[in-house]
Amino acid sequence: MRYSLPASVSAGLAALLALTGCGFTGSGDSSAQSTQDADKQQRIVVDNFRAPVANWALESDAAYILSLSGCLETLTRYDEAEGKIVPSLATEWKQSSPMEWDFTIREGVEFQDGTPLTADAVVGSLQRVLKAAVPARAFNPKVVSSVTALDGRTVRVTTPTESPLVPYRLASVNTGVLSPAAFEGNNVNPFGHCTGPFTPVSEKAKQSLTLDRNANYWGGEVQLAGAEVRFVTDGATRTTQVQTGEADVSLSIPVSGLAALESDSNVKVLKADSPRTATLYMNNGKAPFDKVDFRKAVTSALDLDALAASVYEGAAVPASGPFAPSEPWAGGTQDAPAKDVDAAKKLLADAGYSADRPLEIIAIVERAEFADVAAVIQDNLKAVGVPVTIQTKEYAAVEPDLLAGNYDMVLSQRNRLIDIADPIGFLTADYTCDGTYNLSHFCNEEYDAIIAKASTTADSDERYGLYAQAGRILKDQAVNVWLVNEQAIDAVRTNLQGHTQDPLARYVLRAQTAKPAS
Amino acid sequence: MIRFLARRTAALVTAVLLASFVVFLIPYLTPGDPVRKIIRSRVAGDVIDDSSVQALSAELGLHDPLWKQYLGWLGNLAGGDMGLSHTSRTPVIDQVLPALGITVSIVIMTLLVAAVVSLVLGATAALHEGRTLDRWISAVTQAFIAIPEYWLAPLLVLVFSLQLAFLPSAGWSGPSSAVLPVTVLALRPTSFFTSAVREGVLQSLGSDHVAAARSRGMSRTATMMRHVIPNGLLPLTTSVAIWFAGLLGGSVIVEVMFSIPGMGRLLFDGVINSDIPVAQGAVVVVVALAVLLTTAADLVHTLLNPRMRSAVA
Repeated sequence: MRYSLPASVSAGLAALLALTGCGFTGSGDSSAQSTQDADKQQRIVVDNFRAPVANWALESDAAYILSLSGCLETLTRYDEAEGKIVPSLATEWKQSSPMEWDFTIREGVEFQDGTPLTADAVVGSLQRVLKAAVPARAFNPKVVSSVTALDGRTVRVTTPTESPLVPYRLASVNTGVLSPAAFEGNNVNPFGHCTGPFTPVSEKAKQSLTLDRNANYWGGEVQLAGAEVRFVTDGATRTTQVQTGEADVSLSIPVSGLAALESDSNVKVLKADSPRTATLYMNNGKAPFDKVDFRKAVTSALDLDALAASVYEGAAVPASGPFAPSEPWAGGTQDAPAKDVDAAKKLLADAGYSADRPLEIIAIVERAEFADVAAVIQDNLKAVGVPVTIQTKEYAAVEPDLLAGNYDMVLSQRNRLIDIADPIGFLTADYTCDGTYNLSHFCNEEYDAIIAKASTTADSDERYGLYAQAGRILKDQAVNVWLVNEQAIDAVRTNLQGHTQDPLARYVLRAQTAKPAS
Repeated sequence: MIRFLARRTAALVTAVLLASFVVFLIPYLTPGDPVRKIIRSRVAGDVIDDSSVQALSAELGLHDPLWKQYLGWLGNLAGGDMGLSHTSRTPVIDQVLPALGITVSIVIMTLLVAAVVSLVLGATAALHEGRTLDRWISAVTQAFIAIPEYWLAPLLVLVFSLQLAFLPSAGWSGPSSAVLPVTVLALRPTSFFTSAVREGVLQSLGSDHVAAARSRGMSRTATMMRHVIPNGLLPLTTSVAIWFAGLLGGSVIVEVMFSIPGMGRLLFDGVINSDIPVAQGAVVVVVALAVLLTTAADLVHTLLNPRMRSAVA
């Protein structure tokens, strides 16, 4: 879709900008413009929901942007469809000893600057991440001792303790590989230094990243001539731009924009289970939540179907436990707990609950919908005789109290797979007795033993079975109320081809992404 | 005159010091650990390792007492160095200058649009004083003040981007992308300018020199163009300078809603990310420019007005 102003108006505005010496960045290159115009149908625009803040440092979230842009690639990658780690820049890997993993680097791969991908280049890139002042959660000195090159094609990763999850860690976008020329002093320059299907060629600070096709891509012919990844932090704007055709892909569509997009015949809405579950955390270490019957009563009192349908407008599904049903460690499909007022009242009586003080729900303001969620919960609990007050606060303000156990209930949402494509980090930090983010203040020896065993289990099926067992304990103990499984919602123009949704927005621009000439 | 300039220079230094100190304190006066906020701006997620907090705090010099940090920043500023961003570790000046260029462009376009529109509306209202058209113009332009930017911006996007497909909905990629944000920002100054022009034109219409021009046989149009309109524009000079200064720092909502990487957006991101050097740099530049602009406006006003000139002298 083209936008045009009368020529005189455009010329006047352009003249004014020229006079003030403050032109629009990047718009002055007429040859680049004409090239884009000549090949317009084969370039696309992706609206991303975040902008890089750390100057392309790989240990930061900027790595997600380089990855979704088709620039940055990792040794391994997580295949959502197969639910397992698959080769990428490494063709194979093996655990050569309990604490050592050897990765074989793919032959014939060149960086976009023409230099070959070697074990030394991989080691140099990974060591930068390992030595960062604020290292990546997936790849830091606590979980990785060293990275060395055994020969020209083999990289050895050593861990401080036995770890079956190293291949998962090397699928994290933070472990993406750049050529040695990308590292100049403290700066990281990804331009022309990736291995992926697209080469970043220019950046408009805080606005966008422009990429061209990598004609020498090792993974096959790249279908698009290029793309522009825009950093559009406002969800409503992302929604509008995919409707107007200004964007071909808009990531992370807010619920408020869903109805408009679903009724637009030029737009396809993509939904997938995200690894995020909105959760009512209960302080298991504090009365009355220290009694399992009371916690079960709270679970029975809540109407999760109504919550999903009303506050989330159908863009989330009622949760049956700590995992989304589609996750391989969920232990099969289970129904979400149904509202049962009578059962809740009986459980309250069994717990010896007396409403001697109103309980408090903290709704963090960073998630706007939590205020409404809290209101629904307040109403549900009032119906069974549990008075509740609601406090809305910034997360940063309440975090010390949450970690110290000075609260009743808090609404929050965690990304289970934020570190690696495996929930071990989440299950350890959030629910083990020594967990560093154990907001529930839950402690169960059986649970801890299962998680300890899982952390050293290499076979993924066996490990997933252990996660399912751990999940059942959390559910049986009614540690929290898992409210709704959130959906990752993206929108694409219907003429876009070869696009596959990634719920974590790591892979968007791929070699096979294509757009036909109009 | 020298005393006037000395007073204004002292005001400039005081304003910059006060504003920068307040911005410096914001991350410490709001809930939460500033270092954790910086880390969260770099890596999303809740679990933050204490060792990371300690390492970053040491790297950024945030272990030092606040007064020492502030004086260090002030010393660097005196040498023309705004420091490095806490989040990107790039020079703040490299972020401030492009953002300033964009915001100044928007503000100039906004004030030009507001001046032209208000000249037409104000003069028309004055020429129809007390009649229906005058009342309508006054009512409509007064209503501009009451229209919130966060309401008008999506409405304009809905009409001109979504329905008519005539203008881009966001971004800063060409002249057309400036139309909607400038329109949103121009409403309020248009309202004030229209009122000022109307009053100026009315005063001019009732003045002796206009009556003399008409008595000499000058046509109504010529009188308007040569005497009435130029005099009606005089009240705008000071207003434009004040609005220029105000819009430099007051375009945050519009810049965020339209994804424009200007000063407002820079300041917003700096505060949200606890990036103190960036927020301080943005504020210092905006405050300094605001004081300089109002000083320049006062100076021009003083030089043009003999009574003021003698008072200052």
